[in-house]
Amino acid sequence: MRLALLRLPQIALTLALLSLAAWLAIGLMPGDPASLALMSDPRLTPEDVARLRALHGLDRPLMERYLAWAMGLLRGEFGYSRLFAQPVVAVLWPALRSTLVLVGLAVAVAAVAGVALGALAALRPRAGGFVDALALLAQAVPSFWLGILLIILFAVTLGWLPAGGLPGEGQPAWAFLVLPVATIGFGQMAAYARHSAAALGEALRQPWARSARARGASDQRVLWRHALPNAGVPLLTLLALDAGSLVSGALVTETVFARPGMGKLLYDAVMGNDYNLALLALLLVALVTMLATLAADIAQRWLDPRLEEA
Amino acid sequence: MRHALLAALALAATPAAAQQARDSLTIGITQYPANFHPNIEAMAAKAYILGFALRPVTAYGEDWKLACMSCDTLPSIENGQAKLEQTPDGKPGIRITWRLKEGEKWGDGTPVTAEDMRFAWEAGRAFETGFGPAETYRSAYEFIVEDARSFTVRFDKVTFDFAGLGQFQPLPARIERPIWEADKAGYRTRSAYETATTNPALYDGPYRIAAVQPGAGVTLERNAHWAGPAPAFNRINIRTVENTAAMEAQLLAGQVDMVAGELGLPLEQAAALEKRSGDRFRFFYRPGLTYEHIDLRLDNPVLADRRVRQALLLAADRAQIVARLYDGRQPVALGSVHPDDVMYDKDAPAWPYDPARAKALLEEAGWRPGPGGIRRNAAGETLSFDLMTTAGNRAREQVQQILAGQWRAVGVEARIRNEPPRVFFGETVSQRKFTGMAMFAWVSSPENVPRTIFHSDEIPTAARNWSGQNYAGFSNPEADRLIEALPLELDPARRRPLWSQLQRLIATELPSLPLWHRADAHVWPRWLDGVRPTGHQNYSSLWVTEWRVKP
Amino acid sequence: MTRLRLGLLILALLALAALGAPLLQGWLGADPFQPDLFARYEPASAAHPLGADELGRDILLRLFYGTRVSLAVGLAAALAASALGTALGLLAAWRGGWVDALLMRLADGLLALPALPLLVLLAAVDPARLGLPRGEAWTDMLRITVILVIFGWVGVARLARAAALSVLATDYVRAARALGVTEARLLRRHVLPGIAAPVAVATSLAVAGAILAESVLSFLGLGIQPPAPSWGNMLANAQEAVFAAPMAAVWPGLAILLAVAGCGLVADGVARRGS
Repeated sequence: MRLALLRLPQIALTLALLSLAAWLAIGLMPGDPASLALMSDPRLTPEDVARLRALHGLDRPLMERYLAWAMGLLRGEFGYSRLFAQPVVAVLWPALRSTLVLVGLAVAVAAVAGVALGALAALRPRAGGFVDALALLAQAVPSFWLGILLIILFAVTLGWLPAGGLPGEGQPAWAFLVLPVATIGFGQMAAYARHSAAALGEALRQPWARSARARGASDQRVLWRHALPNAGVPLLTLLALDAGSLVSGALVTETVFARPGMGKLLYDAVMGNDYNLALLALLLVALVTMLATLAADIAQRWLDPRLEEA
Repeated sequence: MRHALLAALALAATPAAAQQARDSLTIGITQYPANFHPNIEAMAAKAYILGFALRPVTAYGEDWKLACMSCDTLPSIENGQAKLEQTPDGKPGIRITWRLKEGEKWGDGTPVTAEDMRFAWEAGRAFETGFGPAETYRSAYEFIVEDARSFTVRFDKVTFDFAGLGQFQPLPARIERPIWEADKAGYRTRSAYETATTNPALYDGPYRIAAVQPGAGVTLERNAHWAGPAPAFNRINIRTVENTAAMEAQLLAGQVDMVAGELGLPLEQAAALEKRSGDRFRFFYRPGLTYEHIDLRLDNPVLADRRVRQALLLAADRAQIVARLYDGRQPVALGSVHPDDVMYDKDAPAWPYDPARAKALLEEAGWRPGPGGIRRNAAGETLSFDLMTTAGNRAREQVQQILAGQWRAVGVEARIRNEPPRVFFGETVSQRKFTGMAMFAWVSSPENVPRTIFHSDEIPTAARNWSGQNYAGFSNPEADRLIEALPLELDPARRRPLWSQLQRLIATELPSLPLWHRADAHVWPRWLDGVRPTGHQNYSSLWVTEWRVKP
Repeated sequence: MTRLRLGLLILALLALAALGAPLLQGWLGADPFQPDLFARYEPASAAHPLGADELGRDILLRLFYGTRVSLAVGLAAALAASALGTALGLLAAWRGGWVDALLMRLADGLLALPALPLLVLLAAVDPARLGLPRGEAWTDMLRITVILVIFGWVGVARLARAAALSVLATDYVRAARALGVTEARLLRRHVLPGIAAPVAVATSLAVAGAILAESVLSFLGLGIQPPAPSWGNMLANAQEAVFAAPMAAVWPGLAILLAVAGCGLVADGVARRGS
């Protein structure tokens, strides 16, 4: 609890600094709304362009516009998305929800599969080589490539699952999630498998594990009851570190499977000069990451009370 | 194992979706519309989707001739609906009367009236509302409602394409006017087209937008009050898939029935798919008004010499690229005017591949072979420049590399340097920051006078707020004269020689190197009939009532 | 031990391929940059041992040249990130107090940044404005390397800081300090050896990460620009024609796999040796 109270102001400060940095970075990139309008209507006169710039406030200094935007933000006025002609929040929520479902499932699958593989490697040293190889493969395959292979196999050739997109009326939502979840999950699995194999192997070699076995406990029991909770702390850290990068990093998977989500939204917003959307999405992703880290830290302390003192 | 795979492939060739009754059609496109308001911003995905749901007053047909969509007859001087006159301040002007068709209704059953046009005109005249193109509304200085279905517009400018209204189309004034009057600058985002996109009363076409999945797609359903010929499908689903390999997969998996060529697969990919997929789909290639070319920076001393520009074109084997890369599906361009355009001059200088002549021209211009195979002039400068295009556009990147190779063979070095589209179009091209060559495409309409591209007044400068599209910096008094004279000449027969002169002049001066007119690759299911790609910005979806399921 | 050797062997072979690219070019008599429209997607043959790509260029030869780019980006990014991370991590552990607090908050902030949008932003930087030549493959490599370093140093810094803190807390270091051993000597003799193993593991994993990151950037069109080949852009370019010519994508994919496997084995080997 104390940790949370300590960390929240830090999070707020980071967000404020981030918003300023992002505003400047995006603002200094070429291609403002007036030049975009000029592209779609080449017969605009120089006077038209000047009026457009004034209309969009582009003739005011960058810092002044930032302050106006930031004040609006604090008042809860998030503005409109240029790319979707919708209030920013209305665009962000569905995207965030879709990505959180996708990434959440993928991380859950990756963690369960990874820990299972790690346990297998720790218990059966002979399977270790196989687990290593699988983890290596999972780490080495770029996600866009894996996604396309999965689509070719399961959607085009076998016809079992949809090739992408969102479910329409009466179509089961899970079917549309299987392949993208597998794509992200497979890549994430590697880290969990490696770490849990190392941590569990280490734990089994500890004196207390040996003595437990001497007292007649089976390897399995020692592993699940004793070693796993111990190995949980570093795995949790891993989980937290992944959260943020995954929310924006699902971009590639979302592109291949034609699923709208935060990654694609953020990318499109930056590329398409959608200030309001890009900035709010950026802040939201940063907030999610920092909250995930905080949650992991709290959970760690709860699992391992010794950390509280440090 | 191999047999199992083959069997699976055979199964995939007859997807289950094909068996059900065909009352719906799913179309894949590669872009999602930024907004749904018909009069604000032109965008391909929006134009395609709204083609099903809205009727503009006029549109260019498949034959590239202007025709009525929701008007009775096309105004002309001969039928008296258009009259030349003087504007109140003494300029030559024109007054034109259009009459809307009987029975045109919005999706809630209220008729489309001249008042709906008046509202569109008023909103268009308010600059802060942001209707485009701004020039049309500026020139339309008076709007007169003649009766419930007829209206007259007075323009302070006369051009030969006066009968067309383009994006100036009716809006449901009953719904939209109060919103607009409450906040004219905020109307862009407050319009019912954005806040209540599925309201049937917003649509007067054969279909209406019934559901929207932002970023993913749109569902269209039949408009109950549509009075024209009934379309074949109860429902049309539009799905956005930006990655074209994923699009191909969705097509093969039977998730989309067709890929709209207007926003479809790259030509190369479609040609390869056609070879592999046998007779599962029907392919149609329509070379359209997307003109791929390379703008040259004419104030670069190397490129300022006309002989160098001609040599560059002679040394580029465009016919071979089209044959090998695109299966010969799109024509090599002579210039910006399309071969299907009525004003096309097929005898303009063509510059077919001739490396020997290219070398001779370069020698003549003082560029002699130098060390490393790159030519140098007497001052010791090398014949080299940047060749830029949009990063991530693989089709262009391929062509770029081939061209660089072909130019290298005659001693010219083109250094490849690409940027993301936002930077490339947002600054490098539009503010003339490229130093050598910029490869991109122009999209135009039939018989489009290239004023913004070639008139010397249209060279973008900081002082002019970078307006204009003459990025090459082409300045030629004869071209200026022709470009000014063309729009004013109402008689097509007298316009033709002017067009010929302009095309020949441009093809000789070569302010930009013409590549080809890009072909759209349409992929249809075997059972679909009647889609007629136009090749211009009035897309095939406007004629959806002619689409049929084959018996 | 064997893992370490196998990993090093793989990396050595790849380095050899990078160096030997011109030799292979001479032997095959092909040009890795010059398109040949008549040889598009040609299957494997004596002239093209792995076939030809979408522009008729020899895939094997481009793989060899791509090794240069991919390994260079991977190594440069990983080494620079490790060096920077180690230095800052040590600084934080050594100085403690506000220096430590500042650096670690900066690290937290960076971890919260979404990397991809930042990559997009930096892709917009015009090298000419920074006084760098345009259109050179190495400016692309530099750009990608800088971006990867910005995000890469954080992990190493945390590792180095934690390892250094635990070394500094040991009795013998305290004793050594009390005996008046100089800071530099303490650092060289006790702290650096103590953190070498975890940093080496992190570095070799970072090489793999950088190679993969480059391929993702290429998929988005922000990677190494043509005509220079990298494994990433070869894979991304083959992606559009995956149905027509799958092998054009398999080979660069295998090269990435090999490199990542090599780095992984080295990391494993070092870790086991350390423990």
